[in-house]
Amino acid sequence: MQPTDSELIQRWQGEPAPLLPLLHAFHERDGYLSDDALRAVSQGLRIPLAELFGTVSFYHHFSREPGGHGVTRVCSGPICKLRGSDELIEELEGAHSMACSGRCDEPIGVLRGGEALVGHVGGELGAQPTPLPAPNPGGVEECCFRSIRVEGRGSIEGYRRSGGYRALEKARAMGGEALLGELEASGLAGRGGAGFPTARKWRAVREAPGGPKTVVCNADEGEPGCFKDRALLDHDPHAVIEGIAIAALATGATRAFIYLRYEYPWIQEKLERAIVEARDELGELAIHVRRGAGAYICGEETALLSSLEGEHPFPRNRPPYPVTCGFEGTPTAVNNVETLASVPPILDLGAQWYAGLGLAGHKGTKLISLSGDVRRPGNYEVPMGLPLDTLLHEWAGGPLEGRRIEAVTMAGLSGGFLGRDDFDVTLDEPALRAKGSFLGAGGIMVFDDSRDIFAVAREAMAFFADESCGKCFPCRIGTRRLTERLSGEGPTDPSIWKEEVEAIGRTMSQVSACGLGIAAPLITTSLMRLFPDAVDAHLKRP
Amino acid sequence: MSQLTLDGRQVPFEEGETLYQVARREGNSIPTLCYDDRLAPLGACRLCVVEVEGYGRPVASCTTLAEEGMVVRSSSPALEEHRRTLIDLVQSENPTGVEVDPLRGAQATELAKLAERYGSGGTRFAGSTSGRSRHDDPNPMILRDYDLCISCYRCVRVCAEEEGDHAISITGRGFATRITTEFDGFLEGSACTFCGQCVQTCPTGALGDQRALRYQGEPGDLEATRSICPYCGVGCSLDILTKGEKIVGVRPALDGPANGGALCVKGQFAWEWVQHPDRLKEPLVRKDGELVPATWEEALDRAAEGLARVRDRHGRHAIYAVASGRAPHESAYTVQKLVRTCFQSNQVDNCSRS
Ligand SMILES: Cc1cc2nc3c(=O)[nH]c(=O)nc-3n(C[C@H](O)[C@H](O)[C@H](O)COP(=O)(O)O)c2cc1C
Ligand code: SF4
Ligand code: SF4
Ligand code: SF4
Ligand code: FES
Repeated sequence: MQPTDSELIQRWQGEPAPLLPLLHAFHERDGYLSDDALRAVSQGLRIPLAELFGTVSFYHHFSREPGGHGVTRVCSGPICKLRGSDELIEELEGAHSMACSGRCDEPIGVLRGGEALVGHVGGELGAQPTPLPAPNPGGVEECCFRSIRVEGRGSIEGYRRSGGYRALEKARAMGGEALLGELEASGLAGRGGAGFPTARKWRAVREAPGGPKTVVCNADEGEPGCFKDRALLDHDPHAVIEGIAIAALATGATRAFIYLRYEYPWIQEKLERAIVEARDELGELAIHVRRGAGAYICGEETALLSSLEGEHPFPRNRPPYPVTCGFEGTPTAVNNVETLASVPPILDLGAQWYAGLGLAGHKGTKLISLSGDVRRPGNYEVPMGLPLDTLLHEWAGGPLEGRRIEAVTMAGLSGGFLGRDDFDVTLDEPALRAKGSFLGAGGIMVFDDSRDIFAVAREAMAFFADESCGKCFPCRIGTRRLTERLSGEGPTDPSIWKEEVEAIGRTMSQVSACGLGIAAPLITTSLMRLFPDAVDAHLKRP
Repeated sequence: MSQLTLDGRQVPFEEGETLYQVARREGNSIPTLCYDDRLAPLGACRLCVVEVEGYGRPVASCTTLAEEGMVVRSSSPALEEHRRTLIDLVQSENPTGVEVDPLRGAQATELAKLAERYGSGGTRFAGSTSGRSRHDDPNPMILRDYDLCISCYRCVRVCAEEEGDHAISITGRGFATRITTEFDGFLEGSACTFCGQCVQTCPTGALGDQRALRYQGEPGDLEATRSICPYCGVGCSLDILTKGEKIVGVRPALDGPANGGALCVKGQFAWEWVQHPDRLKEPLVRKDGELVPATWEEALDRAAEGLARVRDRHGRHAIYAVASGRAPHESAYTVQKLVRTCFQSNQVDNCSRS
């Protein structure tokens, strides 16, 4: 028997952050979000109907057409595109494209209803487990991936057997202050993109007045070319949960959320099961899993909070920062999956141990999702400061037979391109920033000399234009204008073309309201700097 | 009192003021498009960006609180370049060459003025347009000419924050963002109460006062006369717009002490009867059951006679006067004077008191 409208509403009405799960419940029950469903949700949660209607339309995966929930969606991220996602869409009846679905180390990612599949052109679709990271090719010591390959690590028994929840116990014994001191000494900084020192964030929440305090695990992983959080969540969910529990201890938080991207549906069940298994470890701490609905911007921490609260998911103005005024106005620590999963090993083995993992004075490690034209794509845990060349050519086996690596993107797409002359750069923020790029969440996509870099740039900008939330003028209009200019529209005079593209990029990078608009023009500036010939070739029109 | 440095001068500020508020008080004309004093700042247009020493990038002055010792520059070659680029970008998303009649709304020419200030002709950054007008909406009051919309969301915010109607919202995202009602419908049938506040905050004329726009072709200069809405006891301040002898529109007074720029449907849109052809232009008296034209003397005599008869027969408390909200304030005053002095009664009221 299908649940009735009022049963669904009663199920969620009293829960924290109820809008997304309630919409998902209707979406799954009916196969789409009908007018009646929106009316019922509007009344049940007391959200004005016009606002609910507008907000639902923001998310890619909520369908307002009958049968829309079950439509086949094919990943058209930069790497899947190279593998033929356009042809696969042709092959599969009624299929649509979707933004990078975080499976760049596999065949092409496909979603059908609640099923996550992979497939390739001319082949069958099938479910496939997330690849386990290969043993560290450099033979260097790891933090996050230290125990991920242990048999049965995903269950609580396996996790405990390999040292799990020892750090939480230790943290309880140490108390919040000592714990923060240890974390500070480790040098751990945010792994979600912005690189903010984790201990400082947690201390700010701890010291902020008001409550109840909240921890949010950011598992939205929407950056194209990033799939490291998926590996952690899939193979080591308890490490993330233990990290959340330690964060709660350090900050004084009594509730936590995991905001999971829509494209990882099977992980929701996995996490919910793991949370139940860990009940005794968690004590009073309630951890709620909330699933997004397809919006890259919801990975930006303040848009994420708006989304959780059921508001229109625009990023918020800062200050105030989430640490003082986050979820429903309470002090909130938003942390990336990798950041949180790094904490248990750090407490277990000590700050000095972690700091010492980095090279040449840099502290710790970073997960890199490497994909595209290399022999061994996948997730790698690298010591901070590892030369990019070493990763590309030694760890990942270098280019394919007879090819040469021409370019890589950094920070997924947000760091723009690096070219061959840059490959000696070391993987750490200061070195990358000196090159005009950044490490960010650690996605690196590789393109060899068979690829049209100009086309890659066009797809990248089209992604940013599709995902721009529409709040601020420079990004809302700028991403569109840049996409048009990379698609053969706009001024035909090359010097005017360049002047416009540069001017738009300058203003976007300086005055956009959030990181999306600030980073997006790195694509065009790095393209013009590194590949002027490719640009000129495209501008030479009859 | 705290102080900061603004363009090289020490200026005082109060706790809780934004940089924009401080700068404006100091006479600075930082451009804005998404700003409305009455609304929580959104930080969307980014025109108001200023440089603050020690900050990596310019910050939106409308959303940044003033802090002790800040060193702020409100204008620089770089800032002016960003502003010009932003104006050119926003001009490029709409059709070029549209003349916005000030009759559309109180702030309808805001963008046009900024375009002039920055010499933006709307041709730089040319590309696709973003608005989709709803000329199919049959309501007679609010024009929904979204071809001119720049997604500043002032209409949505004023509807939610000031009017509390939450009738309009934002649909889609990025460049495809549009202003909508529930299920993309017409305003009638939505939660809209036709207060017209969205019209009056819109900086581009994308929302327009349809009633006023009927007088677009009327000759004469547009004049505004401050008055008070007679319809109810709230007492909203408004400006009556005239061209020559004709009323051509009503605008809320943004500085009205009772309404702060708000009106309701009556005060905003119900004024055309003043010059309606069906209005009586001369006194009528009933003769043999028929209303026929009469002189003022005859009509007044007849009224006085009737009132005096009632008073003589039933006493002064048999008379009760209600003045019409549609009559001028002066008439309302005269009615109460009449009732109090002539009939020695306090039984006088006005329909606006309800
Ligand atoms: C457009 C945009 C998308 C983002 N997406 C993610 C994401 O998917 N996951 C994530 O952890 N952080 C993301 N971030 C960064 C978050 O805003 C935030 O800095 C991070 O979650 C903080 O956690 P950390 O300190 O542990 O890195 C994004 C930022 C921007 C501007
Ligand atoms: S930069 Fe883009 S994504 Fe960020 S607030 Fe502005 S429009 Fe939205
Ligand atoms: S209709 Fe006017 S007020 Fe509303 S978003 Fe568009 S330009 Fe702004
Ligand atoms: S009738 Fe409406 S506009 Fe007039 S005073 Fe009352 S509330 Fe204000
Ligand atoms: S007025 Fe500050 S961003 Fe628009």
